[in-house]
Amino acid sequence: MFTIPRHTLGALLLTTVSVVALAVPASAIAAGNDADAIAVLQKKLDQSIKMIEALTARVQELESRQGGTVAATQTASTGPATQQQVAEVEHRVQQIEAANATRQQDTTGLPIHGFADVGIGNYNPYFANYRGANIGSLDFYLTPKLGDRVLALSELIFEVGPDGSVGTDLERFQIGYQFSDAATVWIGRFHTPYGYINTALHHGVWLADALRRPKFLNFEDHGGVMPSHTVGAWLTGAQRAGDGRVLYDLYVGNAQQDSGGTVFMQNAGTAHGTVMGGGRLSYQFTGGPLDGLTVGASAFTDKVDSAQTNNLTQLRVAGIAAVYDTDSWEHIAEAYVFHDTNLNGPPGTKRSTAWFAQLGYRGAWGVPYVRYERASLDQNDLYFAEQQFGASYYRSAAGVRFDINPKSAIKFELANTHTLDFRVSDVQYGLPEDYNEVLAQYAVRF
Amino acid sequence: MRTIGRAGRNLVAVAALVAAVICWAAVGSASASDAVRLQQLPGHWRSDEGRDVELTGFEGHRVVLTMAYATCHRICPLTMTALQSIQERLDRRGEAADFVIVGYDPANDDAAAWHQYRKVRHLTRSNWHFLTGSSDATAELARQLGFDFWKYDDHVMHDSRVVVFDSHGILQTALGPDTRDWSKAL
Repeated sequence: MFTIPRHTLGALLLTTVSVVALAVPASAIAAGNDADAIAVLQKKLDQSIKMIEALTARVQELESRQGGTVAATQTASTGPATQQQVAEVEHRVQQIEAANATRQQDTTGLPIHGFADVGIGNYNPYFANYRGANIGSLDFYLTPKLGDRVLALSELIFEVGPDGSVGTDLERFQIGYQFSDAATVWIGRFHTPYGYINTALHHGVWLADALRRPKFLNFEDHGGVMPSHTVGAWLTGAQRAGDGRVLYDLYVGNAQQDSGGTVFMQNAGTAHGTVMGGGRLSYQFTGGPLDGLTVGASAFTDKVDSAQTNNLTQLRVAGIAAVYDTDSWEHIAEAYVFHDTNLNGPPGTKRSTAWFAQLGYRGAWGVPYVRYERASLDQNDLYFAEQQFGASYYRSAAGVRFDINPKSAIKFELANTHTLDFRVSDVQYGLPEDYNEVLAQYAVRF
Repeated sequence: MRTIGRAGRNLVAVAALVAAVICWAAVGSASASDAVRLQQLPGHWRSDEGRDVELTGFEGHRVVLTMAYATCHRICPLTMTALQSIQERLDRRGEAADFVIVGYDPANDDAAAWHQYRKVRHLTRSNWHFLTGSSDATAELARQLGFDFWKYDDHVMHDSRVVVFDSHGILQTALGPDTRDWSKAL
């Protein structure tokens, strides 16, 4: 039982003070140094008074909690029921703390993140033979933790294809090992390292300021003519140099294939063991007046056959890219030159070009942008001639992005597209030749 | 004779019951950042000047802490602007505080990157500290303080969040997207 009878408390404190006082060495007094002795006594008395004051305040606090008048003296019986109650509560609190700590330390789950988008417009933003509302994509992005240096990522997407059906695509599936910041090796299906957009702005549409990619740089099944994905091996890294960083990429993989009018990645390997390969070298300024600017050059070679015909085309593609990416501006430009050779078709090297330039301003209220893109694709190059979206064109576009909150954005775009090649297949596909678009997109991340 | 025996025991029992109820509620709903102290957080960081920094070294002043990454051009610039507003308000009140920005992406944002970041954005006051830590320390600090983030290749997906510690290093308040006026929240 815990009791502090008040008169006993006072007696205890008085005794303490007395003992402290008597502890002063007698020699100091005997020596006749009265001033020093008095000072020591005074100091100890001050300390004791402070202790008494603190104890008195504590007693008063406890008494005031008790609520007033003197209660009759209770016997030493603490009440077994009370003791048991307190013990049970303490045990329960310990259980809760343990459970909470365990929950917070549980890292065995695989968090699922991703993106999604829907749209509406007078045309489908990727397949101009469709009009109205459209399901964009549902993108699940997974990065299981496999250790300090072992990396993995997968990007599984549900999306609408050229035929209007919803399909599933394992767009990226990579397992890698990070030797250092300067060298990481990936194996699997990855975004081919050329230009800027293809490896900076992936399938998550929310991430980009613009509503969509330039037409020729769209993903293969969304109207693009470049091999956006490669299945193979990829070495990448960055090294600080001067006021910035050197970025490099080297890769080799399965050669692509024209299949059903689109470029196909050959996820299981190629029938003839043909390969594609390339590299990219960039410099990213992180200081000085050019802070935010990245410039680079890339090249790749590919041998693309056809699933429908005996076409076989040797691709040689070179490109340059520049991006100025700051808190206020996002300007992007990419340009490519194709020197392709039909190995089973019309002889000679076919030269084609494709480029775009985009200017964007990041304001607190929104991000307006303008873009011009142009692709001059030689239709004697069977690589382009076989593709559903392989016609030459130019497009002017202006758009704006509004962030509703940190996880969702609405984008609008007005665009005019002019097709430069008349192709019978385009008529069969129902693709318009010249068309104006009014598009809206609602994009989220989760 | 006044006693506080039985009343004292009952008082302890009631207090323990109340604590248990609060703990049950905490398990279900409260963020991991409740009642966090600076000394509980991972301690070893590196400043943008390459110096070793301990978070407990900031005790004695109020600490305004957030997380960011150097190539973020969407949310982090707004957070930095908000922090500057808070700094201005504290300046007018004559109150001192340390502003601590911890990098989300230690793989890309080393000391040199942060040093350049603060130069370009004129965030050079001596009471502003840009810190880089290990991946594990970064993840642990984020977890304890409720900074939810994930990496999408080189991009870091995150919200805008600021936490404030008092001069004793005890978490005082958290500011987020739903906070109306950050500068007035202190």
